[in-house]
Amino acid sequence: MQHAVEEAGERRRVPRHVACVMDGNGRWAQSRAQPRTFGHSAAEASVIDVIEAARSAGVGWLSLYAFSTENWGRPSGEVDFLMRLVRRVVRKHAFFLHARGIRCRFLGVNDPRIPPELARDFEDLMTLTGDNRGMTLTVAFDHGGRADIVEAARSLLRSNTPAEAVTERTFAAHLPYPDTPDVDLVIRTSGEQRISNFMLWQVAYAEWVFPPVLWPDFRASHFLDCLHAYRQRDRRFGGVLPSEIGASRP
Amino acid sequence: MTLHQDVPRSDEQRKGPVGSPDARFASFFDDPLWALAMIRATVLEAAHPAIGAALVENSTFVAHPWRRLRNTYLSMQRMVGADAQTREREAARLNRMHARLKGTDARNRPYDAMDPGARAWVVATLFESSVTMFRLSGQPLEQEFMEELYAEFRGTLATMGDEPGQLPDTVAEFWPYYDRVVAEELENTEAMRVILYKLFDHLPAPPLLSGLPTLWATGRAVVAPVLGVIAVASLPEPFRRRAGLPELPGAHTLMQGAYLAVGLTRFLPARWIAPENVIDLLSLTPDSDSDDPRARTLAAVQARMKRAGALVRLLSPLPDAPEPAPYVYAEARPYQQDTEDFFRQVLDQTGNGSLDWPDLAAMARELASRLDLDEPAETRLYQAYADWWRELQAALDTDGDGSISAQEYAAGAPSLAGPALIRVAEVLFDATDKDGDQRIDAAEYRALFRRAFRRDASGADGTAYTRSAFVKEFVAFMAGRQRTTPFDPLLAEA
Repeated sequence: MQHAVEEAGERRRVPRHVACVMDGNGRWAQSRAQPRTFGHSAAEASVIDVIEAARSAGVGWLSLYAFSTENWGRPSGEVDFLMRLVRRVVRKHAFFLHARGIRCRFLGVNDPRIPPELARDFEDLMTLTGDNRGMTLTVAFDHGGRADIVEAARSLLRSNTPAEAVTERTFAAHLPYPDTPDVDLVIRTSGEQRISNFMLWQVAYAEWVFPPVLWPDFRASHFLDCLHAYRQRDRRFGGVLPSEIGASRP
Repeated sequence: MTLHQDVPRSDEQRKGPVGSPDARFASFFDDPLWALAMIRATVLEAAHPAIGAALVENSTFVAHPWRRLRNTYLSMQRMVGADAQTREREAARLNRMHARLKGTDARNRPYDAMDPGARAWVVATLFESSVTMFRLSGQPLEQEFMEELYAEFRGTLATMGDEPGQLPDTVAEFWPYYDRVVAEELENTEAMRVILYKLFDHLPAPPLLSGLPTLWATGRAVVAPVLGVIAVASLPEPFRRRAGLPELPGAHTLMQGAYLAVGLTRFLPARWIAPENVIDLLSLTPDSDSDDPRARTLAAVQARMKRAGALVRLLSPLPDAPEPAPYVYAEARPYQQDTEDFFRQVLDQTGNGSLDWPDLAAMARELASRLDLDEPAETRLYQAYADWWRELQAALDTDGDGSISAQEYAAGAPSLAGPALIRVAEVLFDATDKDGDQRIDAAEYRALFRRAFRRDASGADGTAYTRSAFVKEFVAFMAGRQRTTPFDPLLAEA
């Protein structure tokens, strides 16, 4: 990355784009001897808390991994429940999100198994908040990082771009929501350390933190801890920090 | 009477040449009452068996009523308001167009749009409806003006090249003629039933409101039956009896009230009700023309209304009961659905559910009138379409019944882009490229697509459309492969 040097110099700043992999709902519920769906319901409070925390901390882009293309493999009762839950949450908080000036987007949402009412609500929320200038909240729903890259390749081929003209930049322009900047920080809760096919292209240079706390317990304070941890990191983008070679010293 | 107030009467004007711009005839068509009288006149025309058959077989008014309305209005303006040259040119164009409309109706009776009796009847209904619309609105025409008007209408028929004698010479002789046709020739035709009972119930939104389907459907559900009742109640009593049309209590009062109310709109500022402005506005789409400030305002208003609609839907409470457990899967919308949409919106121009020659002829007609083509070019375009029709028939009409059903189309659609279709694209390119420089520049582009040149049009170098890009896009569109081309609004717009 060309901007590596400048960006590294500004490493004390708030990350521009934070992504959360919301992991641990099932385990949280099981530890309380409750069905897994109980954990999903409890996740709602964390989601709202994190959105508000990110917004007030000055994060410009927040992405949440809500449902992956692989999650369709879960028991159908759980999938059903999730669909209904998401619909309720979207409708319940639509006005709050809009009032806070948050622009909402849904990444994925291609599978015909998604109930049409839910797709309609997603569409409505995007229409409603499309012109907002505050934080952009991207909810990855029925998302798969590889599928996005394959789709971009298809779109590239369809546009008859000659092979020599394909660069990282032109390729990225064919990804969904090409205006989305690279992810700076990924937070994966519950201590799991995997990518799980999440925004593969965008996380190329991301810093990762793995707080052990399960997602339903994750609150604004944890989120701020993660931002703090990010500030401690030296982001090098494969290069060497200017301070180490003394470039920025007078 | 508006006309008498607006236009100072002078002998010179009264004797002015038929259809000259200053003839009162011209301003006469700007009356808002025509909105109602036009429906009535069209119903009376459609009730004539020959005209009804031609309409049902060939007209696009069911699937594309707004486009049809705009074309009709443009044509009428040229026939009555313009100079002699324009008038003659338009008459020749109309004659060429109508000469192509002939065939046999459902009962195997031949029809021909050039039939002199039928053509006289069209003019007769226009005259009679204009007299009636003023009568019903409570401002009857003076006898003297009525006679002038009749002479002007007869003059129009003469401009069209018809032999005199089909229409009686004087108004006094006109009424027995009219009564005779109503009593003896009119029938309860399919075209008339389509207009009265189907057209308004299924009227697609005009381009202006196409982004607001719910609003349009609600308004239509209220207005459509009322319009039907008004049109029926204004028809001559003997015909209503013979055709078995319903008599509803209060229908007559409603009809008269409607005419009276529309008659009163003349107190509104003239600019608001000028049909030209109304029709232009209805044809406006948010993306139609970035140069047009009205289009920009419209886009802003529509975006706002969409957001309001989204908010209302999101805030409306969900049903308390758990949602139905069995999954309602969203219909997979890949290929099949797209093909059906394309068939319905673009190919089946007459809206009768199958693809026939009249559908392709309607496309040729629309393109020819947009480009304002003259004789040889027009024939070339029709010829190219006719060849394409033969190609389609050979490839897709598997059951050999002469027309292509939606199923036959869906089964064979991928094989659609044959040499005849490419030929259509090339002929169309030549017709659009008026100056013959092998490029379609901004002005030529606007003539065909009625919108500003888009710089992102693929294959365009930013200033013009090349032949190869044009042909490629046209073929991709007509073969149903790519909907997002400038051709889509051209042929799919209501």
